[in-house]
Amino acid sequence: MDTILTVDNLHINFYTNNRCNEAVRGVSFQLKKGRTLCLVGESGCGKSVTASSIMRLLPPLSRIEEGEIIYHTDQGDLRLHELDPNGPEIRSIRGAEIAMIFQDPMTALNPVYTVGFQIREAFMYHTKMAAAAMKEKAVELLRSMRIPAPEQRVNEYIHQYSGGMRQRAMIAMAMACNPQILIADEPTTALDVTVQAQIFDLMNDLQREHNAAILLITHDMGVVAELAHDVVVMYMGDAVENGPVEEILTKPAHPYTSALLRSIPVLGQSKSQKLEPIRGSTPDPYNRPKGCQFRPRCDFATEKCLQDPETFDVSADHTVKCWHWEKVLANA
Amino acid sequence: MLTYTLRKLLMLIPMLLVITFLIYVGLELTPGDAVSFMVGPDALANMSPERLNELRDALGLNDPFIVRYFRWLGRALQGDFGYSLTSGVPIKTIVFSRLPATLELSIAALIVSTILGSILGMISALRKGSVLDVSLTVAGMVGVSIPQFFFALVSILIFSFNLGWLPSGGRTLPGYTTFLDRLPHLVMPALVLGATMTAGVMRYSRASMLDALSKDYIKTARSKGLPEWRVNLMHGFRVALTPVVVLVGFRLPMLIGGSVVVEQIFQWPGIGKEFVAAVRGQNLPLVMMIALFTVAAVLIASFLVDLVTALLDPRIRLE
Amino acid sequence: MSRTASRLDRKMDLLKMQEKEGLLKSKEGSRAVGKFIQNKLALIGLVVFAVILLSSIFAPLLTKYDPAMIDLRARLSPPSWEHLFGTDKLGRDVFARVLYGGRISILVGFGGALGAALVGVSLGTYAGYKGGWLDKILLRVSEIFMAFPQIILVLLLVSLLGQSLWNLLVIFTITGWGSVYRMARSQMLSIREEEYVQALKAFGLSDAIIAYKHMLPNALGPIMVNLTLSTAMFILEETALSFLGLGVPLHIPTWGNILNAAQDLTILQEAWWIWVPVGLVISAFVLSINFVGDGLRDSADPTQQG
Repeated sequence: MDTILTVDNLHINFYTNNRCNEAVRGVSFQLKKGRTLCLVGESGCGKSVTASSIMRLLPPLSRIEEGEIIYHTDQGDLRLHELDPNGPEIRSIRGAEIAMIFQDPMTALNPVYTVGFQIREAFMYHTKMAAAAMKEKAVELLRSMRIPAPEQRVNEYIHQYSGGMRQRAMIAMAMACNPQILIADEPTTALDVTVQAQIFDLMNDLQREHNAAILLITHDMGVVAELAHDVVVMYMGDAVENGPVEEILTKPAHPYTSALLRSIPVLGQSKSQKLEPIRGSTPDPYNRPKGCQFRPRCDFATEKCLQDPETFDVSADHTVKCWHWEKVLANA
Repeated sequence: MLTYTLRKLLMLIPMLLVITFLIYVGLELTPGDAVSFMVGPDALANMSPERLNELRDALGLNDPFIVRYFRWLGRALQGDFGYSLTSGVPIKTIVFSRLPATLELSIAALIVSTILGSILGMISALRKGSVLDVSLTVAGMVGVSIPQFFFALVSILIFSFNLGWLPSGGRTLPGYTTFLDRLPHLVMPALVLGATMTAGVMRYSRASMLDALSKDYIKTARSKGLPEWRVNLMHGFRVALTPVVVLVGFRLPMLIGGSVVVEQIFQWPGIGKEFVAAVRGQNLPLVMMIALFTVAAVLIASFLVDLVTALLDPRIRLE
Repeated sequence: MSRTASRLDRKMDLLKMQEKEGLLKSKEGSRAVGKFIQNKLALIGLVVFAVILLSSIFAPLLTKYDPAMIDLRARLSPPSWEHLFGTDKLGRDVFARVLYGGRISILVGFGGALGAALVGVSLGTYAGYKGGWLDKILLRVSEIFMAFPQIILVLLLVSLLGQSLWNLLVIFTITGWGSVYRMARSQMLSIREEEYVQALKAFGLSDAIIAYKHMLPNALGPIMVNLTLSTAMFILEETALSFLGLGVPLHIPTWGNILNAAQDLTILQEAWWIWVPVGLVISAFVLSINFVGDGLRDSADPTQQG
């Protein structure tokens, strides 16, 4: 399978409030054509930061400290982490090669412009279409997103759309230039369950049609089971476990992954399943535990865990950062 | 949009009724009435109370208060605002002869302060934390803190007396016919009058711009590959503009109030100068009527601002 | 661009190093106080404010002159060691007049703001809590007051009531209560929804006690900020009125009355010492209040961190 994006040992620090917060501390994964990779973890674990860093959309007081983000094109590799975040190279990639959709379309779309205008904006800087063609294409995109009466809707504002339609308009905008990679940052968190399913269907269809790679950020294990081909589990900035979805869901090798799986209800097992919340709480990022970040909340913790865990291979494409991964596997 | 306009317009009417009523109460409190203007003071002293009462009856001065109010209001709507106490000239004539000067000054100050203030505020926000931003912030603070008349006096001392660049007062000179001739006279008063407003608009537009820049749609715009100028101007500034326009509308009374002092210092022959003279001369009818006109002007201006706001923001327009 | 970027990078490197060595700690103590002290402009403002206020209060200790003492032999003398700010047309010591004038100007400004706050807050607290027709009527009334440009309304009232120190305080209260009312009211509207208010209601406490004793203290922060800022505004207004000769009667020295002399073009041009120092003092005082007010607002506002 073709790898389209490689993230290797990515470190990102935030410098707000005159402090230094290691938001991402060594994340690696490979995104493949026609596949969906889920970055999963609780809020504040660095998954959104990782996603933003790919398009170099990090806020001003933050920095990529080390690691690589490489975009593999037919013309060769582009080292995204080395580009000027305000430069023309990354701008020509944003929206055209890599596109992004956000959690809340109500705030992610500009309230004072029509939806059509905001879709056309994407064409303006990546294509040489005439104005009339752009208009037509925008209508067509909305229609392909199954938005009713697209000729009329294209001239409406986002506050006139319903919740599900807003997210579909957002996706239409992201798909405007047929990007190779679609980054979706919690795209359905703000929507209700039935609409969620529609959006996922839509994303699946798009993936099949365009063979696009999708990087999906979520905190919802249900979404992971539904959509993912590959999974990266993040905790406190670390990518603690990385592997194909079947292995992660059935044979979690990291205590956090396995605890996460035990803490969520699974449909159809509601009576027999015993939910176990993860004990303790997420540590203060400015006052991190020594060694493994999960140690204070972990049942397997020993003296050894005071050292930063190394990466171990569970299987060919399944890695884990835990000293006791074999015990975790055996225990499951 | 049409219903919005009509609704806003309808809301003005009760407001104006109450204000005209208050103004009329003020007028009634004024010592003396129409009879005392018509009859000289000597004749008045010799007139019998019965004769006086007859005269008042004939003029309708003994009618119930509310009847007198509506009669007065009816006359005012037809353009009869009464007479100046000191000169006997119709108030309408005075106001209309002074209005162009005041409009010229206020509109110039309004334009300068809105454009300058919003652009400086935007730049300040885009360069947040830089030396430029801090200096502009401090300058804005100084701008709202210096008494306007002190600023005016210092400008006259420097630019008229010491440098001799600009005239120290007045609106025109004999032989000046075109606007360009008169422009040097306008520069200083307009800038002084606009200074406080500029500072206020700048502070507000900086905050508004920072708020807009923190929104998700800015990130969306960047993620589409739009160039920075387009992200900042068309997505940031465009959204930040609406609250700024609201603020400008909100501050209009201050601008009009400020013109009272500024016109006095620069001897600008406008309504503000006339107002000060009327207050000094205890010319209450004129004071009351000018106050009424300014309130009406403020209300109409804020109505226009409401319309502009609605045009700028589809969320209001399409409600 | 590259220069600023590298400066930012250096700052980030420094923070990273400090963080590694455990030098950076979460700040202890009150966040609001800490933020106020960090705000340099607010601190400078506080100092300037205190200096000018104290000099006015202790004016007799700082100058030997009586501000009203006329000395026709020393008319219009420029600044000297004898007369720090020189003398005016009647030979009165300008420095003494600025000091004593501060007493009245500050008193009028603060008194006006306090009067407006008392009326506005007491009405706004109750009406904001109760709502209903009382609130609706007061809101309309305040709207009418606020439709007038402040100085027009003030001058109108001056011509109705006459010119005196006491009248000016009354007029400032009349013209200023509207905005305070609206602010206090909106504070109460948001506090009203909190659960402790519902609990108090369930206990059967009277409306007045709930509004004034239990809710008002929680709205005091923004009210205090408003009080500081409107003091500054009223000082500016007093000086403007007195400058026009329509504020405090001319025989009482106030900052505005001192500046009134500058309406005379010869004084404006040739005797700068009469009006420039006092103009600067007013500007500095108002500026310092604005800095303090802004500092208070920022430190009280939890939405603006960092």
